[in-house]
Amino acid sequence: MLRAVVIDNGLHYLEHSFRSNDAVAYRFERIGAEFDPVFDGADILIVPNGSDHIAMLRVREKVARFLDAGHALMCFDGWFTNWVPGNRWIMDNSRPTRDVRYAVVTDRHGVMDGVEIDTLIFSHGISGWWACGYIEPNPAAHVLLADTWGRAIAVIDEVSTPGTIILTASGPLGDGSYDGEAGGPGLLYHNLIGYIARRGAHHERNRATL
Amino acid sequence: MSGIGLLFNGVWSHYAFATAPKYRGLYRLIYIHDLTRESIASLDALAIPFQSNHEAIARRRDIIYEFLAAGGKVFVEGDSSPAWIDAQWSDRPVNNWWWVTEPNNPPVADTDYAHPLFQGLAPRHACWHTHGVYTRVPEGADVLQRNGDGEIITWQTTRYGGTLLATTLDPIVEHGVGQITHLDNFCDNLTAWLCGVRPEPGTMTVDADAFGIDRFG
Repeated sequence: MLRAVVIDNGLHYLEHSFRSNDAVAYRFERIGAEFDPVFDGADILIVPNGSDHIAMLRVREKVARFLDAGHALMCFDGWFTNWVPGNRWIMDNSRPTRDVRYAVVTDRHGVMDGVEIDTLIFSHGISGWWACGYIEPNPAAHVLLADTWGRAIAVIDEVSTPGTIILTASGPLGDGSYDGEAGGPGLLYHNLIGYIARRGAHHERNRATL
Repeated sequence: MSGIGLLFNGVWSHYAFATAPKYRGLYRLIYIHDLTRESIASLDALAIPFQSNHEAIARRRDIIYEFLAAGGKVFVEGDSSPAWIDAQWSDRPVNNWWWVTEPNNPPVADTDYAHPLFQGLAPRHACWHTHGVYTRVPEGADVLQRNGDGEIITWQTTRYGGTLLATTLDPIVEHGVGQITHLDNFCDNLTAWLCGVRPEPGTMTVDADAFGIDRFG
């Protein structure tokens, strides 16, 4: 079982999006005036939609150490402060949402298996609901999804740090928040968790071999 | 300095709105965990957007009520907490596709268009979607909007000195998100009502250079 720390910005709906289950045990770190989160024992740091990027900027060295230790970061929000190593998110409202479409660019780990990309593009027939703005990724990172204009909106970065950085351009993902939608964003989230679990098992085997 | 203090908890949509060229001269971002009496003393109004940290706000409620007592305006959008406001917000499913499936049945049925917040707005500009309702409001409060079931969407009261206006609409968050294109109408009215200055007409743009910052404040 993976152990995940979820950054908690005091939003009322967060606990519904990250309920512990057989695959992941979630622990919440609530932001306050003296935010000093504990990541010890965690495999994944999750920064969900609606997070506090002033607080994250103040703890960016702790995040960097977490990644340097080989762990995983999942940020499903727009990080307007520079706390994510190697990658920048930029808001942009100049493109009409009716023109937004997504395409898979590179899926090395099969995280889009079974995911209906139209569930990310459309909600009740309306396009452009999921991501906002775009990511300027580390050029060596792998872009999972790009938008109509070829801009990265989901990235898996295994090069900026010894850890794994999974980013969406504020496209919300969660564990249980999309239950009931076959092939929807919930499946993408679970596939990403599966990838991190496999990656962790691979590292454990290598460590044992060494 | 006069203007509007936008109490924010590091959420990007709040930041995008307050740093937009159209609004940044009128709004000042105040990180909720750094809020002090001194930091808001010279302001005309406070705006508390949806997706705020109401636990953090409740710890600083005295500062907000002192600001109101001094005659300031306070605008609260989206949800709220009875830990700091004498009202009860209740969650409801959000319908943000009604304009496709039922364009003649918006989530708000009655609006007081005489209020400066709504003056000159078309019905569609006065409501895009709602995040819940208020099941209890302060005694004597004026109700400004209701949904089709008669539930309260927007209300205001002057019982604390200045004006406290709360709504389950979320204009600041949605304008920051940029997926609803007509929100300049509502947000320009809101800004003018809060601080007496109407932003320059036109569509809100985003300043890309404001993103990826290494320092805040």
